[in-house]
Amino acid sequence: MKQNKGLFAFVILVYSFLFIPIIIIAATSFGSESYVAFPPRGFSLKWYHNVFTTESFIRTFKISMEVSVLATLIALALGIPGAYALTRFDFKGKTLLKNFFFSPKIVPGVVTGFVMFQFIVINLKLPIYYSLLLGLSIFEIPYAIRVIGSSLEMVDYTMEEAAMSLGASRLQTFFRVVFPNITSGIIASFMLSFISAFNNVPVTLFLSGPGISTLPITMMNYVEYNYDPTISALSVLLMLMTIGIMFVVEKTLGINNL
Amino acid sequence: MKKKWAYLLMAPGLIVIVAFLIIPILSSILPTFHDGDSLTFSSYTDFFKDSYYNQIFMRTLRISIITVVICAILGVPTAYFVSKSNKKIRGILIACTIFPLLTNSVIRSFAWITILGRNGVLNNALLTLNLIAEPKRLLYTEGAIIVGSVYLFLPLMIVSLVGVMENIEGELFEAAESLGASKIKAFFKVILPLSVPGLIVGCVLVFTGAASAYTTPQLLGGNRKMVLSTLIYQQTMTLGDWYGASVVATIMIVTSILVMGTINRLAAKLNERGV
Amino acid sequence: MPLLSLKNIDVSYDGKTNILEKLNLSINKGELVSLLGPSGCGKTTTLRVIAGFIEPVGGQFILEDQNFTKIPVHKRNFGIVFQSYALFPHLTVFDNVAFGLKMKKISKDKIKDLVDSILNTVDLSSLSQRYPKELSGGQRQRVAIARALVIEPKLLLLDEPLSNLDAKLRLKMRVEIKKLQRQMGITTVFVTHDQEECFSISDKVAVMNAGEIEQFDTPENIYSNPSTEFVARFVGFENFIDLSNISGNEFHAKGGKKFTINSNRDITKENIKGTIRPDDIEIVDENSNKENLIDGSIDVRTYLGKSYQYNIKTDLGTLVVNGSNNNVYSQGDNIKLYLPSSKIILV
Repeated sequence: MKQNKGLFAFVILVYSFLFIPIIIIAATSFGSESYVAFPPRGFSLKWYHNVFTTESFIRTFKISMEVSVLATLIALALGIPGAYALTRFDFKGKTLLKNFFFSPKIVPGVVTGFVMFQFIVINLKLPIYYSLLLGLSIFEIPYAIRVIGSSLEMVDYTMEEAAMSLGASRLQTFFRVVFPNITSGIIASFMLSFISAFNNVPVTLFLSGPGISTLPITMMNYVEYNYDPTISALSVLLMLMTIGIMFVVEKTLGINNL
Repeated sequence: MKKKWAYLLMAPGLIVIVAFLIIPILSSILPTFHDGDSLTFSSYTDFFKDSYYNQIFMRTLRISIITVVICAILGVPTAYFVSKSNKKIRGILIACTIFPLLTNSVIRSFAWITILGRNGVLNNALLTLNLIAEPKRLLYTEGAIIVGSVYLFLPLMIVSLVGVMENIEGELFEAAESLGASKIKAFFKVILPLSVPGLIVGCVLVFTGAASAYTTPQLLGGNRKMVLSTLIYQQTMTLGDWYGASVVATIMIVTSILVMGTINRLAAKLNERGV
Repeated sequence: MPLLSLKNIDVSYDGKTNILEKLNLSINKGELVSLLGPSGCGKTTTLRVIAGFIEPVGGQFILEDQNFTKIPVHKRNFGIVFQSYALFPHLTVFDNVAFGLKMKKISKDKIKDLVDSILNTVDLSSLSQRYPKELSGGQRQRVAIARALVIEPKLLLLDEPLSNLDAKLRLKMRVEIKKLQRQMGITTVFVTHDQEECFSISDKVAVMNAGEIEQFDTPENIYSNPSTEFVARFVGFENFIDLSNISGNEFHAKGGKKFTINSNRDITKENIKGTIRPDDIEIVDENSNKENLIDGSIDVRTYLGKSYQYNIKTDLGTLVVNGSNNNVYSQGDNIKLYLPSSKIILV
């Protein structure tokens, strides 16, 4: 199909808007000045060195990785059965229950963070670490339900009936027939939930405390008091991680199918 | 027997959500409606009467609405282009759209600090070109928050629209052309009306996202230009005014539900019409 | 003087391989011409060149002495009925039909008159305020036709318009299309892969294969006298025999078997194929003394309802023959086959 030249130019502008800031960050991360300068005047890798020698970045990166992976696993464990029930069964109050499952996405993140802080940390006196884990798990459940639900919808239901007619119980049917056919959906869902948990600010903002904080929160504090390209360098490293994750998602489910 | 299974499968997830999200929400916001034993809305009328809070509320609404409008204007033509591209180019463009979405909001806001800052890219460029005599204050303005929010949420708008536009049959556009409509007319008479469901989803996502974002207004607006989400944090962590924070939390939830409800009802009405 | 002619049309998507190659086609005013062929043969591409959705890399499209090759779609004023009907789901039946008239900036009253009258013609007046999703397949089809006809197009282009209908409705609609086309005297190009549908309504048929027109003729001529092996196969010839021409109407098959064939076709090459329909081969008595006889034995028998079909092993390979219900043979029976010299077509 022949495309209109004006439309083409417009689209170029929009994607420039989306990518120029990212390119500027990447460029400044290699600068030699002690402040963020664009275009950079000299080349240096010292900001990358800086990232790896700043104790708080390394420590909170480890915490972020740990809680994001665990929270994602919990969300999947809670979300997969829920997604299966929502796609395969008809029952009373389905819409209402669906809305309940999606409520962590409807409630603004800062509100979730605030009420959980007040209720779990202050009232129930749960340790910060577990509160953070719980908060992120709840935050990721809707993701798990949505991505896995859509890959469940692609699995032909008659396949399950066939398995049951051959003598498989419901549980056997799920693990031997359904599960192998939604593994790509589960991997994609894991990756997306993980990155979303890793990137989360509003919920983790409230659920962090002495000794326990996540990388994005540390970065935010750093940005508010420093103006050097260390954050640019760290950003480039995190964007490489994002690209790696997108690559895995593309190879499993296909980016287009999200 | 089948139904029992369904409830059993959903139970763990629902119990966790109810116990650690729904109950905490209720336990925070219910007290704001109590004055002794009687129901009262005085906390809320006080909030809106206070010009400082009122201003923050209006700023949040204004930023969100302007962000939605700009995202729609930029997103509709872009999404159309993406949806009509061949498979390979579409894949690349969608990856380019999703990449920013998966990038940390701190990074994305930081990028705009380097662009809009006093010694930032934009001020430097304007100074070099002699368009301004001294650096302008671009950061810590509503404009900065809006630019940052559009940057944050435009990909969401594009993705929601592409999903719908992809499914508009190419033959509809050709049919309009064969009946005498130029490409531009065919777009406005056929493609745009049929994209409304995607546009609505996109608007809801962008509005609720912009109205509840924390990182971008915090980094690009600072304490000068507070919005509801930065206010809630300040009240809890800096001022220790948890009651006030609960009032803000209620207002944020109600706004979010009202906007979603209104827009979804609009969508349902359009659906009845047969789209 | 034809109304429309395609001259040496080349279409290529990648600049290397051609979808259409030096395609020529002329259509007279008022004719209903079908483009027939299997999927991927270029029939839809040809229609889209005429419609203006595809710009050919070479050649010209002339309509009434005017070069239309580069005229944009929306200025051509051709009515198109799409395979999916492409009804606008957000508009009522009335507004769908009125769409093209609104584009021409015709006055509201005039639009109402024209739309009402065409809806009356296609028998849809009572449904004018419905949306497409509230209509049945046949009703949608009629809306699509009304929408294409109301703009008084110079050409009517139909792209497999009946393929989404069930068998019964398909028969009814093709008669309706033919009737409307006659009534309005509108020159029509019809794309289909269904041979029966195509033959039943066309004045002329272009059988296409691999981007070229193999034969352009009346349905009767194509059916009884296909000019190439591809066309023959497409219209139901199943038996092909390699032959070499000895002299005049004398031919030799593989193994030296002699055949007499009465053909009005000029024989230019020595090696040629003879083809004959399963209906035209006769199973005859052992002691018949006609010409063009060959021996065979029944391999497989299937029942078709009005007749039996046999796969028969012969020296010339397996032949497919339809035999009557009166005289039924069983597997293993040895028989003789008679191939009438006037029924063998040379391709």
